[in-house]
Amino acid sequence: VAESLAIGETVEGQMRKVLVLVGALAPAVAHAQGTGASAQGDVSLTIYNNDLALVQDVRQLALPVGRHRQEFPDVSAAIRPETVTLNAGGTGIVEQNFDYDLLTPDKLMDKAVGQTVTLVRTNPATGVETRESATILANNGGTVVRVGDRIEVLNDYGARVIFPSLPAGLRARPTLSVTLDTTTPGARPVSLSYLSRGFGWKADYVALFDEAAGKIDVQGWITLTNNSGTTFDKARVLLVAGAIGDGSNSYNGGYRPQPPRMPGNRPGIESANRESLGDFYVYPIAGRTTVANSQQKQVSFLDVGGAPATRAYHFRNGWLSSQTEPQSADTVLRFSTSKEAGLGDALPAGTVRVYMRDARGQPQFIGENAIGHTPMGSSLALKTGEAFDVKVQPVLEKRDRIDSGEWEKTARFRITTPGNPASEVTVENEKVFWRTTMTYKVTNAKSAPVTVEVVQGGLDNWWHDARVPSESIKGEQRSADERVWQVPVPANGETTLTVQFDTRY
Amino acid sequence: LNAPVRRLAVMTLMLGAAPALGQGLVTSPAPESVSVSVYRAPDRSSDEAMDLDWLEGYALVTERRTVEIPAGKATVRFEGVAAGLFPESAIVTGLPSGVREKNLDADLLSPRSLYARMFGRPVILRRTVPATGAVREERAVIRSGPDGAAIVQTQAGFEVADCGGLRDELVYPEAPKDLSARPTLSIETESAVAHKATIALSYLAWGFDWQANYVVRMNPDGRTADLSAWVTLASSDSTSFGDAETAVIAGEVNREDSQEGEKPTGGALVLQCSLAPKPESLPPPPPPPMVAMPAPVAMEMADIVVTAQARKGMVMNAPVTVQQEGLGDLKLYRVPVPVTVAANAQKQVALAQKKAVKLEALYRADIWEDSVGEVRQLLRTRNRREDGLGLPLPGGSVTVFEPSSSGSGEMLLVGEGGLADRAVGEDVEIELSAATQVTVTAEEAGSDDRSRTIRLTVRNARPVPVRFEARIALPAGSQLRGASARLDRKDGRPVWVAQLLPESSKTVTYMIVNPH
Repeated sequence: VAESLAIGETVEGQMRKVLVLVGALAPAVAHAQGTGASAQGDVSLTIYNNDLALVQDVRQLALPVGRHRQEFPDVSAAIRPETVTLNAGGTGIVEQNFDYDLLTPDKLMDKAVGQTVTLVRTNPATGVETRESATILANNGGTVVRVGDRIEVLNDYGARVIFPSLPAGLRARPTLSVTLDTTTPGARPVSLSYLSRGFGWKADYVALFDEAAGKIDVQGWITLTNNSGTTFDKARVLLVAGAIGDGSNSYNGGYRPQPPRMPGNRPGIESANRESLGDFYVYPIAGRTTVANSQQKQVSFLDVGGAPATRAYHFRNGWLSSQTEPQSADTVLRFSTSKEAGLGDALPAGTVRVYMRDARGQPQFIGENAIGHTPMGSSLALKTGEAFDVKVQPVLEKRDRIDSGEWEKTARFRITTPGNPASEVTVENEKVFWRTTMTYKVTNAKSAPVTVEVVQGGLDNWWHDARVPSESIKGEQRSADERVWQVPVPANGETTLTVQFDTRY
Repeated sequence: LNAPVRRLAVMTLMLGAAPALGQGLVTSPAPESVSVSVYRAPDRSSDEAMDLDWLEGYALVTERRTVEIPAGKATVRFEGVAAGLFPESAIVTGLPSGVREKNLDADLLSPRSLYARMFGRPVILRRTVPATGAVREERAVIRSGPDGAAIVQTQAGFEVADCGGLRDELVYPEAPKDLSARPTLSIETESAVAHKATIALSYLAWGFDWQANYVVRMNPDGRTADLSAWVTLASSDSTSFGDAETAVIAGEVNREDSQEGEKPTGGALVLQCSLAPKPESLPPPPPPPMVAMPAPVAMEMADIVVTAQARKGMVMNAPVTVQQEGLGDLKLYRVPVPVTVAANAQKQVALAQKKAVKLEALYRADIWEDSVGEVRQLLRTRNRREDGLGLPLPGGSVTVFEPSSSGSGEMLLVGEGGLADRAVGEDVEIELSAATQVTVTAEEAGSDDRSRTIRLTVRNARPVPVRFEARIALPAGSQLRGASARLDRKDGRPVWVAQLLPESSKTVTYMIVNPH
C-alpha cells in the first residue's frame, strides 16, 4: 500500500515520502509516546537537596468503562515505582505495574519461539533475495528453525528474520501502567504522583566584597540539576532546603566528626520571612519553567546589597607543632545573616564565591567556601584563601619537665592476709608538668596594620588542667583545648607572641 | 488508509519542524572583548612543573558581548565560551530587566540520543549487499530503545537492523532541535522593549594554569646574581581568547571540590544481533558510523610562544613585564598589553628583572642525634630592597647558572630548585642539589644513662672557602650542653655555623641531655 502512495524519489519528496510511510505503517504511531510531544500534563516538581524529587503530574485522560490498562508514558526514567500513587474520579485501581523488560534483539528471538517468521536470504554473489516461511524451534545459544521439512541453524550472515509482530510484554523503555476499573466514562483529570531520583539542587552565592567600605553585595542562585533522563515542560517547581530521609539509614545516628571549626561561625536564632515546610524552608520558582534533561538551571532567590563584612586573619597551630618556614595565615571573610546587620535571610546550603574588584574595577575571584543550611541571624566566618603577605611562624623554643610539688592520690588498696588485720595502701604520685615555651612570629608585609587571630590547639589531651603561666599578649581560653590571642601587627612589621604552657603531656 | 491517523502524523511532523521555542531566541556567537585571569592549580607545589596535558588550575573569564534583546521573553544563547566552564559560577550583568534563569543544556546530539529521540518515528534504512555493493533504501520505524538497538519495523514486518546478510545504516530525516553539539549556556530574560544591551558574562573554567620560573645567573664575584623571573601561563581549553586582557593571580585561593566540567551525555549506539556469529569468512569491515561524529579533540602538541626573549650578547629592549597589584590578600600580575590566550598553548612574559641581587651560597645539613641528613647547596637572601629584591615573589622553579671557570664567559647550569610564595621582608632560601664535595659525619663520642656526646665533623674538599650550617634537632624536652664551639639558635633549633677554608675540616662536640 505504502509503495503505491510514495511520490517520487527527489530530495523534496523525501519528507512527503516519510509522511506517507507514517500513515502506511502500524497505527501504533498514533500513540503519543512516539510522536515526540510529551504525554505529561500539568507537572509540579518538588525538589530536595539529596537526589530526590516529588513529581505530581495531572493528565486529562478519557477512560473507557470497565477494566482497562492505562499506560503512563513520559514519567521520569529514574522513577521509584513503589512510590506511585494515582488519583482519579469514577475509577478504581486494580493493579499498578512497572515493566522494565526491555525489547532487545535477543529477547525478541526468545519470545518468538514457536512462531512462524519469514526468512529472507540474500544471495551473496548476486544480491537476489529469496523468501521462505520458517518456524522458530528454539533459541539456546543459537537459533534453530524449521524450514519446510528441514531443520536449520541460523547465523548472522545467511538470513534475515522478519517477525510478524512484537511480543506484548517487552517495551522500548521502562513503562508505568495501571489497570483501572472505571465506572463512569469520559475525560477527567488523573493525578499521578511519585518520587524520582536524578534531581538535586544547591545554592550558589556570588559575594562581591568591598574591603575599603567593609561591605558585601550578595546574590543567591538556586542551581538545580535534572539527570532523571526526562524533560519536564512548563513545570511548577518548588525547592525544599533539606535532605528528606537522609539520616534514617545512617548507621551512626547521624553523628559526623567535624573538622576544627573556624571561630566566628555561630548559628542564628531568627526566622526568615520565607515559606516553610516543617523544619525546611521552601523556595518556589516564580512562573512555570522547563526543566530539561541533563540541564543545570539557575534561578535567582536572593539579592542583598551593602551588608557589613570584614576581613580577618586566622592561624591555628597544632600541639607541639614547630615550623622552620613561616606559614600563611588564613584569610577569613566574616558577615552575618541577621536582619539587623546582615543579609537578612536564611541561606540554603551551597558554595559562596567571593570576588573583589582589582585596580581597574573589574571583579576578580578571590576564593570560595561551602556553607551548610544557615538560619537567619547566623554569624559566618569563611576561609577564602591564605594570605600572601601575612604569615605566622610557630616555633617550639623550649620544653622542660616541672615537678610541681603537688601530689595526687592515684590508687588505694585494702590488703587482707589470713590471720592479720587488713591494711590499707594508698599510692600518691607527684603531678608532672611539661613547661612548653612557644613563640609565634607574626609578620605583615602589607602597608596597613592587621590583627591576626592565633589559636593554639591540643592543650586539653583529656587532662583538663593545662595552665598558662605567662603570655606576652593576654589570651582568651576559648575551650579546654584552645587558647586564642588577637595579635596586632604594624604595617610592614612583625610581632612576636611568646607563651608558656604547663601541660601534662 | 485510516484518515485520522494520517492527519495526526502530518501534524506531528510539522511540530517537529517548527522552531522549538515560542519566544525570542538570540544567539551571541562570540565576545567583543575578553579578559582572562589565570589561577594556579590548587594542589601543585610551587616547584613542580605544570603538566601541559592535564592542567588543573582554572581561570576567571570575563567577556563583554553586545546582544539585541527583543521585547518580551527571550532566550540568549552564548557560544564560544570556554569548554571547561563551571556553569554554577556564571554571572551575567548588564541586562536592565535582569536574568530570569540561567541554563546549561548538556543533552548532546550523539548517535545514541538521536536514536532514542527517533523512537516510534520514521527513518530510512540504507541496506547494502556486502558482496555486490548494491544499495537500496527502505523506510522503517524505530521500535526499540537505544539499549535494545536496533529493532525496526519495515513493510515486511519487524526485524533487527544490521543482522543477517545485509549491512544496514539508519538515516534520519532531521536532528531534534533541542539536542546541541556541546553544552550550551543560555539565559532567559524578559524586556518591555527591544533594545541593544552590553552584557558582561563571567565564569570560572578549568584547564588553565600558570607558574613562575626564576633564572639566577651568578656573577663572577660569587656573592651577587642577576635574577630574571618569567610567568608561564598555559591553556588546555579548546577555545582561544584573542586579544585578551590577561592577568595571573598568586596566592592560595580556597576551592571547594567541583566536578571538572560537564560530562557529555549520550554516546555511542551499539547495534546488536542475536543470531550466532559465523567465525570463518568474515565480511568486510562495517561502513563508518551512521552519523558523522566529530573526531575526538586530541591534545595538540603544546605550542610554545615566547613573546619576549632575553638572549645573551644581543642588545634587546626591555621585555614586556607584568604589573603587580594587590588583590585583597592575593597578588595580581597584569600583562600590560592585550595578548591571545590560545587554545592548547603556553605563553611566557617577564615577571621581573633584578640586577646584582645579594645571594649567599652555603651548604646545610640537618642533624638528628648521630644521624645526618643530606648536605644540600643553598642560596639565601632576604627579600628586601637593600639586597636587590623587595617584591612579592610567587612560588616557582629556580634554575641557577654560573659562569664557567674557563673564563670564556659561557654560562653553565649548576642547580635547580624551588621557591615557595615569599612576601616582602621574608628570608628566601633556595635549596639546590645535594653536595658531593662537602661531607658531614656525626658519631657518638660517649654516653651515659642520661646523655650522649656527639662529635660532628664537616669536611670541605673544594678549592674555595665554603660556609656550612648544621641544624641540630633535639628530642622534645632534652637539652644541648657543653658545646665546643659557639652555637646560634634559629627557628627553635641550635645551629652550628662553620666557615671552612679550602680543603679543610672542622669539628664540634656537644652533649644531648635527657630530662630524666
